[in-house]
Amino acid sequence: MGLEAGGETLGELFVNAALALRTVLLGDRCLVPDLVQEVELPGEDSEELLVAWLSEILYLLETRGLCPCAFEIDEIDGKRLRGRIRGLCVVECAIELEREVKAVTWHRLSVSCNEGRWRARVYLDL
Amino acid sequence: MAVRLERIDEYRWRIPREGAMRTEGLVFASEQMMEALQQEQALEQVRNVATLPGIVGPSMAMPDIHWGYGFPIGGVAAFGADEGVVSPGGVGYDINCGVRLMASSLQAQELMSVQKPLADLLFRTIPSGVGSHRTDFRLSPKQERRVLAEGARWAVERGFGTRNDLDHIEEGGAIPGADPGLISDRALERGRSQLGTLGSGNHFLEVQRVDKIFDPEVAETLGLFQDQVTVSIHTGSRGLGYQVCDDFLRVMRQASFRYGINLPDRQLCCAPLSSPEGKDYLAAMAAAANYAFANRQMITSWVREAFARIFGMGQDQLRLRLIYDVCHNIAKWEEHRVKGRSMRLCVHRKGATRAFAPGHPQIPEAYRKVGQPVLIPGDMGRCSYVLVGAAGAMEETYGSCCHGAGRLLSRHAAKRAAQGRDPVAELARQGILVRASSRATVSEEISEAYKNVSDVVRVVERAGLGRIVARLKPMIVVKG
Repeated sequence: MGLEAGGETLGELFVNAALALRTVLLGDRCLVPDLVQEVELPGEDSEELLVAWLSEILYLLETRGLCPCAFEIDEIDGKRLRGRIRGLCVVECAIELEREVKAVTWHRLSVSCNEGRWRARVYLDL
Repeated sequence: MAVRLERIDEYRWRIPREGAMRTEGLVFASEQMMEALQQEQALEQVRNVATLPGIVGPSMAMPDIHWGYGFPIGGVAAFGADEGVVSPGGVGYDINCGVRLMASSLQAQELMSVQKPLADLLFRTIPSGVGSHRTDFRLSPKQERRVLAEGARWAVERGFGTRNDLDHIEEGGAIPGADPGLISDRALERGRSQLGTLGSGNHFLEVQRVDKIFDPEVAETLGLFQDQVTVSIHTGSRGLGYQVCDDFLRVMRQASFRYGINLPDRQLCCAPLSSPEGKDYLAAMAAAANYAFANRQMITSWVREAFARIFGMGQDQLRLRLIYDVCHNIAKWEEHRVKGRSMRLCVHRKGATRAFAPGHPQIPEAYRKVGQPVLIPGDMGRCSYVLVGAAGAMEETYGSCCHGAGRLLSRHAAKRAAQGRDPVAELARQGILVRASSRATVSEEISEAYKNVSDVVRVVERAGLGRIVARLKPMIVVKG
């Protein structure tokens, strides 16, 4: 399954890509988060950083039961990202996920900026 | 760029060598399958794999080929020890995803009166669904390292199955050379509470009946008879395997730069088999594969307990004997004959099954004269097949054949096709009870989402890669 996201800034692009992943996992349900997880990630470039960011969401969901709802990016420069994921506890809130995403792939991955607008394409392994 | 194709015969198609390809492509498919294939990018992926260093023989695709990430699903490629590479993308995220088949002493008729309670008990006993984990069983770090090193043997030694089970698993249920020390903390964390779980997506547990025997002699050797109740389990290494693949894709991305390997797709990133990165990946992959063997073994044990409880019979009476367990996402060192001489090759099978022909020393002794059992699941509404490997597979495909039906519709398209329908009720009308954690999964897994597996195995048989032995029809389906 492929995701495409856009944004005025790299940070906005990453937030929108995370929201797209959230839709794959949860559909378009409206959930109000009450947990927060700070995230800091390194990457060789903005593409590696995007894979790391989306993979982090999957990792926290699987190991900590953090159902992702909202996303914030404080700092991002293509080599490092600092932000947070807001969510709910999957178990306590009895949240039924729509589908399992095994991983975020490198297949045809792209992050680009054209005339001031950022775009990304990423494929998920389901 | 459109992929150029040359028809060799009724079931073989060549992708001629051009551009950066180091070898040609070879696709096994009927004309009808090829028409559908030309609409997607899977053939381009066969061509991409042909560009990798040290590939020996053609880049191949089985008749269940469909678009994957990097390598196509249904892809087979072998690489030489000296010049060749290993690629995590050639194995996939779900390392040692595989299938096992158990055969009971029961007739289908005996199951009818307990079909519903058995379905409910299996669904309760075997955790399935997104991120499924066991609440009653969590590995300690020390235990987890043992699982990674010992595979199914770890489970059997703790009472989850019998010694006889191990003789009926590819590689005896443990791939040698596994190094748990190469598994990241993240992967270990993901694996700790998922041993004995099915997961989601196309993974399943099915109770089936033997619907048709095609080869009575071989069926008898395997212990299959008409109307017999069988159980199939399809799952893999769960989050641990996904994380190992993810971790090593990063390593391989750097390695590809370091060793000057040009990639048409970053998901094909790889390292020379002789390099530290290549050796480390194979040792980590073996550890994840062993986790998958143990996972299927644990589920087997709980299935046997559920049957014993429902039928009020001892496990000895029910038998639920393990017929065989095959990997279909793996890279392994194997000896094959190439142009008349024996070569040690690293055979990548991504959505492809080993299918060794009669006489191969790695086939369990009881089956050696008929060939290695090959388990080909279809979709939850139609059927699955049992085949045995044939001589043609050894000659042409490094002892490999297809692994399933192969997707026809994307998950999105399948969900759209299921809109306004109740697939669970439709299957119930056919006598198939479905228990699933997610309605979305059931919609995405409807029969129409897959090619007809009967067409796929027909191509395999007619191309001489395997022989069809029996057809199995689902009675109970547990999905994630």
